[in-house]
Amino acid sequence: MRYIKRLFYFVLSIFLLSAVVFYVSRLAPGDPLVSYYGDRVEKMSPGEREWAEDRLGLHDPVSVQYFRWLEKAFHGDFGISYKYKTDAADVIGGRIGNTLLLGGLGFLLVFGLALLLGVFCACREDRPADRVICRVGVVTGCIPEFWLALVLILIFAVHLKWLPGSGAYTVGGEAGAADRIRHLILPLAVVVISHLWYYAYMVRNMLLDEMGKDYVLLAKAKGLKGGSVLFGHCLRNMFPSYLGMMAISVPHILGGTYIVEVVFSYPGLGTLAYESARYKDYNLLMLLCMLSGIVVMVCNIAAQAVNGRIDPRTGM
Amino acid sequence: MADGRFEVVGIRQETQGAPLRKGKWPEGKPVLSALVLGFIILGCLGCDFFAAKDPAYLDLGNCNVAPNGEFLFGTDTMGRDIFSMVWYGGRVSLAVGFMATLVSTAAAVVYGTVSGSAPAWADALLMRAAEILLSVPGLLVILLIQAALGGGNVFSISFAVGITGWMGIAKVVRTQVRQLRGCEYVVASKCMGGGFFHILRRHLAPNFVSSIMYMVVMNVRNAIIAESTLSFMGLGLPVEVVSWGSMLSLAERALLTESWWMILIPGFFLVVTLLCVSTLGNYLRGKGKA
Repeated sequence: MRYIKRLFYFVLSIFLLSAVVFYVSRLAPGDPLVSYYGDRVEKMSPGEREWAEDRLGLHDPVSVQYFRWLEKAFHGDFGISYKYKTDAADVIGGRIGNTLLLGGLGFLLVFGLALLLGVFCACREDRPADRVICRVGVVTGCIPEFWLALVLILIFAVHLKWLPGSGAYTVGGEAGAADRIRHLILPLAVVVISHLWYYAYMVRNMLLDEMGKDYVLLAKAKGLKGGSVLFGHCLRNMFPSYLGMMAISVPHILGGTYIVEVVFSYPGLGTLAYESARYKDYNLLMLLCMLSGIVVMVCNIAAQAVNGRIDPRTGM
Repeated sequence: MADGRFEVVGIRQETQGAPLRKGKWPEGKPVLSALVLGFIILGCLGCDFFAAKDPAYLDLGNCNVAPNGEFLFGTDTMGRDIFSMVWYGGRVSLAVGFMATLVSTAAAVVYGTVSGSAPAWADALLMRAAEILLSVPGLLVILLIQAALGGGNVFSISFAVGITGWMGIAKVVRTQVRQLRGCEYVVASKCMGGGFFHILRRHLAPNFVSSIMYMVVMNVRNAIIAESTLSFMGLGLPVEVVSWGSMLSLAERALLTESWWMILIPGFFLVVTLLCVSTLGNYLRGKGKA
């Protein structure tokens, strides 16, 4: 019963999301014909314009357009991208791998390092190392991603010429693994640096909270070593909330990845969303918003489910 | 309890540890951040007096000049003086930050209070809706709204940023209101015919203001970040409207010529401001808990 209810909410959420995104994007001014036909639009006669708009179904009321979109979407047809002239799903399919690579690696690195850093700081609470890391961390947390990316490009790509500053692989060269990795370093560094401290600090504080509890005192009184209390008891108790945090952080890191992609002109979903917003590529933007929203919702549900498994107390 | 008419009796609460040192420097208070932030705000407000150059003037004879005696921070690719632009642009960036926060806080307080005082089913529905909105990456929504408003001016971008940032605060307000709504003074006020906004202002708001203060301050920070990111990508304020973000939108060209001053100087002001704001916010959070 609980699962049915959850599933119901999930489906309802997706419908709501799609409706909101659809209406807002159609309200936007701007000429979708421009993104389909390019500059030729200006040379069109009124009759040709009429015909073109009719062909793309732009004449009907927005609600009619929405239901038509919905009906087609159920058949797996999300409409064509006006700019790329192919199925929107195909356009996204060509780019999604790049974003998954960047975002996924960034996500794993952020959470792996955050755990290490958090544990390290918690062990050294209020000692110089902890204080320095806290200071530096607060500063890195305040730097907007796009600026960090710019500065890194300025230093490593323009000034020192060590690493490439844009794209996912060298144009015209052979796209080997080494080449991909070289192109990934800077974007990945931005994603990690700008998110790392936020989560490391949370880990640190959760651990410190946990270490102040009575059972730790008891365990120590019984003669357990500090390390085994920390890793065997505290980390374990903290883990469900850490997993929950990981799932909730998906929109943050996803949003961050999008921005980083735009700055590095890395061919992923972020640059695609940016282009489609600029050129009023409705179908594409719509699908991107939906995709991002669904990923986030799935993660939220996963977080609840995982938490429920690990720690029955947090069940809904 | 603050006025001393009531007193907790029972086991005496003992404070452990050394008594607080009373030094000249107020311990634990973010004095430095407050001073720096005050300096930046004052500088931005009063820039008419000391920034001699017109930030919009295109001095085409002096494009892309490195910092020197005449142009303290250099000029950008369009020949504008970066020193004046930083101060005038700060006005816009800070204004967007504050206005967006005003919008989001107002929306959050009203939404949270309505949800908190509504019957359980309506409350669940409203909170679900907020969660759905929370689940979409904010920047995409801002992009959509910004496009729908036909944006490009300070008000539309403040609105777009503000309207996407209220969900977190609304949740806190709702939790607080749910705890408070059964209190005698709220019920009494309702019995005496107090309207929604009256109760909100006189009875509810004073109780939850300290717990949302931190989030409100962080909202200023997030709004400034959102504005600068959008303007940087060319989707927020246009290049003619000078703000820290729109100054950075020329960065692509600056990178080609390695004009570091065009990227580092506005960004430095941006980061310092954000740092001060979040330090203040963290201080408020510590105070809100105590």
